[in-house]
Amino acid sequence: MTARRTAVPADAAQLTVLNQFVREFWAAAALSPSKMQTFELALEEIFMNVVMHGSQPGITLRVEVSLNLGTDAVTMTVEDDGPQFDPLSLAPPDVTGSLADRRVGGLGVFLVRKIMDTVSYARVAGRNRLRMSKRLDG
Amino acid sequence: MNLRIEEIGDVSCVAPVGRLDFDAAPGFQEALERVMSGAGKSPAAVIIDGTGLEYVSSAGLRAFLLAARAAQRSGISFALCALQPAVREVFELSGFSRIISVHPDRASALAQAQQGRV
Repeated sequence: MTARRTAVPADAAQLTVLNQFVREFWAAAALSPSKMQTFELALEEIFMNVVMHGSQPGITLRVEVSLNLGTDAVTMTVEDDGPQFDPLSLAPPDVTGSLADRRVGGLGVFLVRKIMDTVSYARVAGRNRLRMSKRLDG
Repeated sequence: MNLRIEEIGDVSCVAPVGRLDFDAAPGFQEALERVMSGAGKSPAAVIIDGTGLEYVSSAGLRAFLLAARAAQRSGISFALCALQPAVREVFELSGFSRIISVHPDRASALAQAQQGRV
């Protein structure tokens, strides 16, 4: 079983560091690259949500990311020390509206729910924890 | 992300190469705005060729949405073509393929853009 963990400040400039983290995990776990983008995308969406909505003036949150290879799935956990916030409680965006009506926000979490097999939220020891997994077959 | 822009008659073809993520989206959006406002003359159509576009996140989708909306307001036809499977999946999941035309290749996007204009 391959497992990796990293921690970065909740700063948009860290996105490249996190992408590199996913790529290194993928290489270490010797996985085929086909599902790697799913995890890169989910991590960008969740991380940027924390960057843009979790931070308060003068305080930079810390975000911890871990990737674990199980027998048939990869699990990713993203934790932050910001105020309690469950992104899964957000109402899904209306994806059927016309070009003029479509809202530009709210798509990130929606996409994560669509591309992952499971997504769950918990508030654990004063931290927000979002856990996602995706099977590697199919 | 790199951007290649070609003028084919009065159609502007924009080919982003690389990743359209949170970092790249603002620059991409500005580039599309410049293409649409034109140097004095706006194009009749803008086609985004996705052959080299490897990745798009919601930040990239936002740039496409705002550009498509600006095009509609200016009477410019706006379409995408030749999307890679992973990018096309994001477009379909988000419902964007229902509000922005997506063509299988550049030739069909060009044909569509030129239809109705003689």
